[in-house]
Parts: sequence; C-alpha cells; structure tokens
Amino acid sequence: MLEVIKSGLETSIQEWPGRYGYLNVGFPWSGPMDSWSFRLANCLVGNPPGAAALECQFIGPSLKFQRAAVFALTGAEMQAKLDGVPVALGESTSATAGQTLAMGSAKTGARGYLAIAGGIINEAFFGSRATFHKGGLGGMEGHALKVGQTVPVGNASGVAGRKLKLSALPPIVTNKKWQVEVVTGPNDDWIDDEGHARFLGSDWKLSSKSDRGGFRLDGPDWTFTARATNKPPEHGSDPANIVDHGYPVGAINLAGQTPIILVNDGPSGGGFINPYTVPQCAFWKLAQSKPGETYRFQVISVAEAQARARAIAALCTATSIE
Amino acid sequence: MFYEEPRFLPGGDRFMEIEFGDELNLELNFRAQGLAQIITEQKIKGIIETAPFFASILLHYEPDLVSYESLKTEMRQLIRSIATLDDVELNSRLIYFPAVYLDPWSSEAIDQYIEKINPNKERDPAFIARLNDLSDVDQFVRVHSGTEYWVAALGFWPGTPFMMPLDPRCRLFAPKYNPPRTFTYKGTIGMGGGATAIYPVDGPGGYQIFARTPVPIWDMQQRLQPFNEAPYLLRPTDRMKFVHCSLKEFADIERRCEDGTYEMNVVGYQKISLKSYRAWVNTLDPNARF
Repeated sequence: MLEVIKSGLETSIQEWPGRYGYLNVGFPWSGPMDSWSFRLANCLVGNPPGAAALECQFIGPSLKFQRAAVFALTGAEMQAKLDGVPVALGESTSATAGQTLAMGSAKTGARGYLAIAGGIINEAFFGSRATFHKGGLGGMEGHALKVGQTVPVGNASGVAGRKLKLSALPPIVTNKKWQVEVVTGPNDDWIDDEGHARFLGSDWKLSSKSDRGGFRLDGPDWTFTARATNKPPEHGSDPANIVDHGYPVGAINLAGQTPIILVNDGPSGGGFINPYTVPQCAFWKLAQSKPGETYRFQVISVAEAQARARAIAALCTATSIE
Repeated sequence: MFYEEPRFLPGGDRFMEIEFGDELNLELNFRAQGLAQIITEQKIKGIIETAPFFASILLHYEPDLVSYESLKTEMRQLIRSIATLDDVELNSRLIYFPAVYLDPWSSEAIDQYIEKINPNKERDPAFIARLNDLSDVDQFVRVHSGTEYWVAALGFWPGTPFMMPLDPRCRLFAPKYNPPRTFTYKGTIGMGGGATAIYPVDGPGGYQIFARTPVPIWDMQQRLQPFNEAPYLLRPTDRMKFVHCSLKEFADIERRCEDGTYEMNVVGYQKISLKSYRAWVNTLDPNARF
C-alpha cells in the first residue's frame, strides 16, 4: 500500500536478523546494516523490533501512502518531507491516504530506515522477507524497490507523536572519523607483529567500491608470518590465500593486500584469510559511514563484543520511548 | 596436514571456526560434513547454522544461549566422540555435466582480461598445464576431465560448489587471478588453489577458466526437475563428472535447459565410504597422470 514514486538508490525491504539458516548453501543473511536504528524505527510504530521495513541508502525514495498509516524514520538524516512538510527523525508520524513521503540525500549518516505500523508483508523467500539485491532474491521481485511497485503493509494502527530518548540513539559522527570495534581472529596468526601494529595504528579509508556485500578499505600494506608463505599448494599462491573456508559475517577479509569487510550481503566462504572480524555491535557504524570517511580499529574481546550487542538490544525496546 | 587437535578460532561475537587440517582431502571434508550433520541431528543448543568447508567448519551461534568457551568445550567432546569415520557411508549423487573444454566464452573473457587488465597474463589452460608439468593443453583437458569431483562445500554465492578431484592422478593446482577478472560467463568452469568450481551466474571471478557447461546449477525459475525444491542444484557430498560435448550439443542443451525439457543426468543410488575410497587410492601410483 506504499506506491513507489521514486526508488532512491537501492532502497530495499529488510527484516532483522535476516535469512538465517542457509549459510551452508551460500545465502547471506541480508537484513538491515544498522540494525540498531532499524529496530528503533519498529519500536516507534509498535512493531516487533525485527519486522520488515525499508533500508534507504544515500538517496531515499519517494513513496505515496495509498491509505492512512503511522510511520517512523531513524538512522541517517535524509531530509524527509511529507507533502512538503519536514518530518522529524526518531518520532512516529501519521500520514493520510494520498500523501507522499519524499526523501532526499543523506546529510548525516548514510542509511535511513522507514518503518510502518503493521510492517511490510511481502512474500518471504527461504524464511525471510529480507532482500538480497545482487542475488535477486527476497524483497520485491528479488530486488531493490522499482518505480511503480506497491509495497504491501500489514494492518495495525500505531500511535503518532512517540519520540525516542536521545540516549537511545546511535551516536552518528559528524567529523568523518569512526572508532570501530574488532575481535581478533580467526586467522590472526597469518599476520606478523608489525602487520597487526600497522592495522591497529592506521586510518583506513572507506573506498567508493563498497556496497552491502563488502566494504573495501584503503590503507597500508600487510605483512605476514611464515604460515602465509610456507604452505601446501592447495592454499593458493598469494600470502593471503588459504584453503577455501567459511567467512564470518563481519570478517575483515584480506583479498591480496586489500581488506574488505564482509557485510550483510557478503560471500559465505572463499579462499582468503580473515585476520579480524567486526562484531555485530559495530555494524551500525559501518552502515552510517560514507566513502572517503576513515576507520580506526580497536580490539575488544569476544565477551565484550557480546556484551555490547546485548546493551544495544536492551535499547531497542519500548523503554527507549519518551 | 591433519591437526592432532582441531583448532578453535573466534570470528567476532557470533562465529567459531574449527579447523581440522589445512589440505584438500576427503577425510578432512568428511570430518567437517560429519560434524555439521551431527550438529543438525542433535539440535545442539545455541547453534543457529553451520558452514562446513574443505577442512574446516564455521559455526554461527547465539551468544545469548551459549558462550564461546562452553561451545568450545562441547564441540571438542563431540569431535572426540566421532573420532572414527571409517565406517560412515554417505549418500552421494553422481551428476553428469556436459562441458565444452577450451570453449570460446572462456577464451573471450581471457582476451578481455589481457586487453584491459594484464597484458602479460598467460592464457589459463596453457598456464595450468605448465605449472603442473603437463605436456600440453590437451593433456590438461584429459587430466581435468578424468575424475569425479566431490562437492565439498557450497558457498561464496548461493549454490556455488567448491569441489575437489577424487582421483589423486587428477590433482592440479592453479593460483587465482590477481587482480580478479571483471567478467565471467555463467556456467564457466574454473580452478583456484586445488579447487574446481562452476560460476552460477555471470559475474567477476578469480579462478583460472577453461571450460563451460550449458547445464545450470542455480535457477530462480526452477525449470528442471532437480530444482523442484530449491533454486540451487547441488548438495555437499554430491559428485560431478564432466562429459565432453560439442558446441552444437552445447547450444541444443542450453536451449532445452531454458525451456525446461532437458533431462538432467543424476544417478542416485550410490554411497561413498572413506574405507573403500582409501583402499582404492592405496592401489594407485600418486605420481601417475592420464
């Protein structure tokens, strides 16, 4: 019941946590990259935190409400207007039938989320409504939204005027520099001490050749331990090659000398090492950064990464509403 | 190499990688596939999904249900309890894939790479033949197509097989492209490291390429009978055999795959056991070539 007037730049239906259960056949999770903002948007309109909603990337869509509904925007500030009237971020708003929500380009952050009371109810594919755009599955006809499509929404009333507490919002930076948490491993023993020191002590610039599959980073070269050079031939000839293995979501995958953070639509396996992994609690930072911005990585333990994910989950509930 | 004890490695807050060794070997893959099967059967608390590969397995777990340390203890015990896999028999379908070796499409993709990216790139079939001390490209084709391939894992892209040759006389090695190729046709057959794969869709790629099959391994329209349940064809523990076909046959089979009238050659009654495989391998000269 949302008619797509302008599609925006790869606006897709996502569901949290995504398409779990099919890594062994190579389906990525998909799902929202900034699941913190995504879940908050759903809380505002009274949906379960993981209900299907829209992820808008860099340039948002224009959507016409075919019936009255309550919606909420979170994440990137995308200059949204409802029939020309600015819409506040982090607040539930009512639209009447026939009104158009027009979003522009992201001013702060990179990915905005639009949840609608009742949730989006497109047909699920292999257990999830989430879109894997490059793979042509899930979402609307397998892809991001196209002009002329109608996005189906469930029936629920929702309450307008609900606001999020400022303390519940992810603190999107404005100085283009991000501190991103990493957990060491699985393949940290392939990198020598200098290589680790260089990784943790350098700024890494997010390349424009990045998308929901992988975030490419520009920075200094890597150096390796003997394990990387003295190995059986089935590993491959590059120091960063390993016998093909599974890739954790969030892996910092070393393709030769180029690190690529494998994100929501990334490959499930392949022949490169993963010296570090970005845990789920830092994914919102990846989601909200733009090409050209820089990352500085900070090591935390597995237990700390899990604790931080729990702290975010605790904020994605009705207790975060004023 | 087989590790004496499996290695447990963390991958962020939700993953554990378990390495059993570091080579392409049916026994290592049996271990990874066997553990995945037992985890599924026993519905082990906290494990959401697994991705078994050649010599390792990746576990995705729910940290709210199980901690990394207790999962590690549990997995170590479970792996000990399945120490011997000798008598395990796995169902293994054999699927015949018609293929044109030294095909014009791979050749076109290689030309494009040489022209636009690396003028010094040696053509893939000749390169693999030279690296593996084969007499010429013809022998490479004979050796590559002379074995059944074991589907050790699916991944990278939905339904993409990572395969290893079951006949040790057909083991080949090839480095990956650096930098990668920007285009590869769907159905192209290639190698990287010691693994062979088929490209499920058109796209970029890093394997050395030398053949193409008209039969799909990924079809969202699910036009052929073996795709009835899912848009991907292959399962781990399947075997694949490439059968030479002409360009004319390629065109005919491709058309029949598209209109849904192609009868796929799937053999479904066989089992494979490590014991019988090992007994056969022991009769072979590991340095022999076809």
